Amino acid sequence: MRTPYGNKVYGMGAEYPSASALYEAAKMVRDAGFKRWDVHSPFPIHGMDEAMGLGKSWLSAFVLAGGITGLLTAAVLEFGPSSLIYPLIVHGKPRNFFTVPAFFPIMFELTILFSAFTAFFAMLIMNGLPRWYHPVFNWNRFSRATNDGFFLVIEARDQRFTELEAQEILEQSGGQHITIIHED
Amino acid sequence: MSERSDVVPVPEGEYIEPNRFAGLSFILAIVGLIGLALSIVGAFVDKHQFSFSWLFAFAFFFTLIAGCFFWIIVHHVTDAEWSVVVRRQLENLAMLMPVMLVFFIPILIFRHHIYDWMNIHPGHDPVLDSKRAYLNWHFFLVRSLFYFAFFICATLLFRRFSIRQDRDGNPGYTINMRKVAFTSLPLFALSLTFGAYDWLLGVDYHWFSTMWGVYIFAGAAGSSMSLLVLVITGLRNAGYLKETVTMEHYHIMGKWMLSFVVFWAYIGFSQYMLIWYANMPEETEYFIRRNTESWNAMSLFLVIGRFFIPFTILLWRSPKKSARKLCLIAGWLVFMQLVDIYIVILPMLYRTGLHVTVWDFLPLIGMGATLAFVFLRIAARTSLFPNRDPRLLESLRTTN
Repeated sequence: MRTPYGNKVYGMGAEYPSASALYEAAKMVRDAGFKRWDVHSPFPIHGMDEAMGLGKSWLSAFVLAGGITGLLTAAVLEFGPSSLIYPLIVHGKPRNFFTVPAFFPIMFELTILFSAFTAFFAMLIMNGLPRWYHPVFNWNRFSRATNDGFFLVIEARDQRFTELEAQEILEQSGGQHITIIHED
Repeated sequence: MSERSDVVPVPEGEYIEPNRFAGLSFILAIVGLIGLALSIVGAFVDKHQFSFSWLFAFAFFFTLIAGCFFWIIVHHVTDAEWSVVVRRQLENLAMLMPVMLVFFIPILIFRHHIYDWMNIHPGHDPVLDSKRAYLNWHFFLVRSLFYFAFFICATLLFRRFSIRQDRDGNPGYTINMRKVAFTSLPLFALSLTFGAYDWLLGVDYHWFSTMWGVYIFAGAAGSSMSLLVLVITGLRNAGYLKETVTMEHYHIMGKWMLSFVVFWAYIGFSQYMLIWYANMPEETEYFIRRNTESWNAMSLFLVIGRFFIPFTILLWRSPKKSARKLCLIAGWLVFMQLVDIYIVILPMLYRTGLHVTVWDFLPLIGMGATLAFVFLRIAARTSLFPNRDPRLLESLRTTN
């Protein structure tokens, strides 16, 4: 979608006076059936993910997979050399499975390490970060999103997005300073 | 958000109607009396068996009640929002501490059957002689009385401020309770740690473990959170707190249960691994006894039942958001605390292997029924949640 001047349209944004107004607006936009939109506020708003209809994040599943990988890595690295390849009696401890208490700390640590790395990098990838530029910054008022502004932006790539419909829902939900945002 | 409560707090609060639990109270009183009476019969039949069974029941209930006290402190110290609606039940449970003082008397009477170090004269056991400065009868008595004095005074203070706030809603009482909580924080840590040393580790006076206090604490905190879930669910099933405690609160309680399942395992394993790895005779004695003969099966059952099973279940979100499922896990964790205390105490009586007798369960049933009876009496006296707490509204609307 392009404006009459030929600028590519990123979406349409509106500003709300408070966190609770933004919260109510999010519920309306969710119920109107929009899929590609986001809210921006200076601080996290409790219950916003449900008001936006986001559902459960996949991040926890990735972290579980990362954790299990870490656990298995540690198990293989410890039992492989110490029990299979080059078994040694250390401190009179057994060489079979029952030496596992000695291996637990490393299994624990690698589980945590792999989980933490997975959580960190999966979070970055899922959020599309690092990203140095975003079209919403073309909107002058938006700089207040880190201070005292509450914003809702519906993206143009949403299947349901038309200028008229987006403007209507933003007005209905009490949005102010409704603006078309350019892509670049 | 689905379960968000939009109820505006009623200033009157919510009360148990008089005679609502009359039948249950009657049954509990009868069971309690019979249980305690039969325990006393047991004391005449076999003093040794009685004293260990009594200590087992006492330690189980003491850890649960001290754990509830811990959660009151946590609430005030962290200025928690969510736990306002469940705080009164924690106070009611902590108010059982004076009853525990009464139940402590038989331990003092039968001390010579439980604590071997009291029977050994100086000069006969070098290990014990080096510990005499701490392990002597007078100091033991003073310490025990101090623990109880602290727990009871602090609980009564919390209770007093909390009930007065119900009447006039003065936020100053919240500040007062916070002051009590900050004072209690170090005293609680010291009391529970040294209480665990005196009453539980004292049974095996040769053994050393610097992690003992925190091990008992980890079990106490986790199982008392589970007990809270059971009490809240019981009240909800009886038709109370339906609109005050939501699934969001259950979710948070479930998270606490998960964290203390992990913490218990972490501490328990750390204690075990250091001793197993160093392999020094004066330390390994405790675990050798519990990891040989039929005690080994019990120890494995404890590790699997108290860590692996609840951990894998509580890791998922759905069991924490369902009152019925969380209640099942909570009941299991309280049972596991029972098994834990059993493994701590009874191997010192039956040194060769697991030996279940009916005498072990009589003090348990008698004490449990009596405590439940007293709890119902205490709970009926005040509102079931602090109805004028300044943060009640935020607590009702908790989401996470």
